[in-house]
Amino acid sequence: METHEALYQQGLARIEQLRQLEPRSGESLQQKMQQNGITRRDFMKWSAAVTTMLALPLPFSTLVAEAAELADRVPLVWLHLAECTGCSESLIRTDTPNLDTLIFKHVSLEYHETLMAAAGWQAEENLEHALAEYKGNYLLAVEGAVPTANNGAYLTVGCKGHTGLHIVQDAAKDAAAIISVGTCAAFGGIQAAAPNPTEAKGVYEVVDKTVINLGGCPPSEKNIVGTLMYFIMFGKLPALDMFNRPKWAYGARVHDNCERRGRFDAGEFVEEFGDQGAKDGYCLYKVGCKGPYTYNNCPTERFNHHTSWPVLAGHGCIGCSEPNFWDDMADFEKPLGRQLLHSLDATSDTIGAVILGATAVGIGAHAVASLFAKSEEE
Amino acid sequence: MATQSAPYQRELIFGAAIRIFHWLRALAIFVLIVTGFYIAWPFLVAPENSDVLVQGYIRAAHQIFGFMLVAITIVRAYLFFFGKSDIERRSFKDVMSVQSWITQLKSYLWMGHLDKAGVYGPLQFVTYFAISVVALLICITGLVLYANVYHEGLGGLIAPMANWLTALMGGLAPVRIWHHYLTWVFIIFVVIHVYMAVWSGIRFKHNSVDSIVSGYDYHKKK
Repeated sequence: METHEALYQQGLARIEQLRQLEPRSGESLQQKMQQNGITRRDFMKWSAAVTTMLALPLPFSTLVAEAAELADRVPLVWLHLAECTGCSESLIRTDTPNLDTLIFKHVSLEYHETLMAAAGWQAEENLEHALAEYKGNYLLAVEGAVPTANNGAYLTVGCKGHTGLHIVQDAAKDAAAIISVGTCAAFGGIQAAAPNPTEAKGVYEVVDKTVINLGGCPPSEKNIVGTLMYFIMFGKLPALDMFNRPKWAYGARVHDNCERRGRFDAGEFVEEFGDQGAKDGYCLYKVGCKGPYTYNNCPTERFNHHTSWPVLAGHGCIGCSEPNFWDDMADFEKPLGRQLLHSLDATSDTIGAVILGATAVGIGAHAVASLFAKSEEE
Repeated sequence: MATQSAPYQRELIFGAAIRIFHWLRALAIFVLIVTGFYIAWPFLVAPENSDVLVQGYIRAAHQIFGFMLVAITIVRAYLFFFGKSDIERRSFKDVMSVQSWITQLKSYLWMGHLDKAGVYGPLQFVTYFAISVVALLICITGLVLYANVYHEGLGGLIAPMANWLTALMGGLAPVRIWHHYLTWVFIIFVVIHVYMAVWSGIRFKHNSVDSIVSGYDYHKKK
């Protein structure tokens, strides 16, 4: 296809340009792979898998491989705001270091609060140095929501006591591209749940640039690395959906590719956790699965080396990659139509208030009307 | 016996098209409410054989009647504006008249008669207008949900608009929950609608419920 040809040429040019740059570390990816017992063959399989995941034709796999090797030329600044570090953990805590982890370490990681050795003034200096040195070229990844109430005072980071709001706006100014890693950075996440006292927001709401949103609590390591690879390969953003999420990862609903989908259409539902249906792998819709409202590739990519994902493990999707999921998807173990039935007593209290209110209004209206009404028409 | 004359006169108020579409719409709304609640909480026990797509068939029925409601909503809007008889359009005059509002509201409190320019009173007209807007909204949210179910044909055609609306409403879950809440507007409307139709026939001594079947209303000869 013509567009693929143009994209391929763009990738070639980008890789040539990266090759001119100095690698940040002395060790090549090949050396690192050897140290971790990853073979060349594993690497080629990985390249082909990433190519397919990004919905590119197979000839692009050589580009992926080259881009991975040159990843140490692309400066990456990774900020932590109001968050739990679960997204970084999703990426780095694998049982054996696989290629996804390795690429993440191979990328010229300039600043990452969990991984860096520096602390205090040194850390601050590293960040400032990276932002100045790679002005306009660095890739900015943000993890965590941005509290904005009281001018952002609910989050301060580092010895200078800058607010998260200040740090992210400062770093976003000269970034080549911005990736919000995880639902908090993308849409505010749990920090932005009602009543949201810190007025936490997604990064895209506080910077005036396009931000790639990688929803998920956490997003799978594949979606994070895939997005990094796309930027390293082409130096531009991938095709994005309605919430600026990459289409190759968030193009279909969890429901669409779910392994229990046949159970749904057949009307075979788990009625309660632990029943025979649950043991037989029936659909989890009636115990609150939000897969029908959630765009993500969890059923196909899964987590932890493709090992499993929530629905395979027997619990419904909670829609963690969607905006405002903590409020919109509640209760997690009930279908949406039962959202108002949070608690039996609270529900009966509301119904009682409505019935008694209507009774008072009805009696009042009848009494007033009967004062004026004639006994019969004409 | 031929000399005996009826004290009432007959008047055609609802043409055939309006009556047919009223009942088609009633049928669509009824089926959609039943299948819609089923989809929200599937209660039938699955058959032994999973080749029988219980949920699939009920969803298919919901979609087909949903398209019917979309079509009727469009046709009904067209008929309102361009229908031959202006008996519906005339009611707009009453909506703009404060006096008409007072007359109708008082008549509902057993004070005085109805006095209308068209076939509807002002409160009735505004209520029907509101329920038409709700019908439009439930059709739109329904189509947004549908675009996620079938990706070819019509579903594929409306997908870009559906995505735009999904983003506007903050995700698919809010779209679905609005679709659900709007259903309740119809349920409440139907109860009040039937009650008022029966009540006004009794109160004002004219043909009321039957006129949406036969098309005729009866008035005392003036």
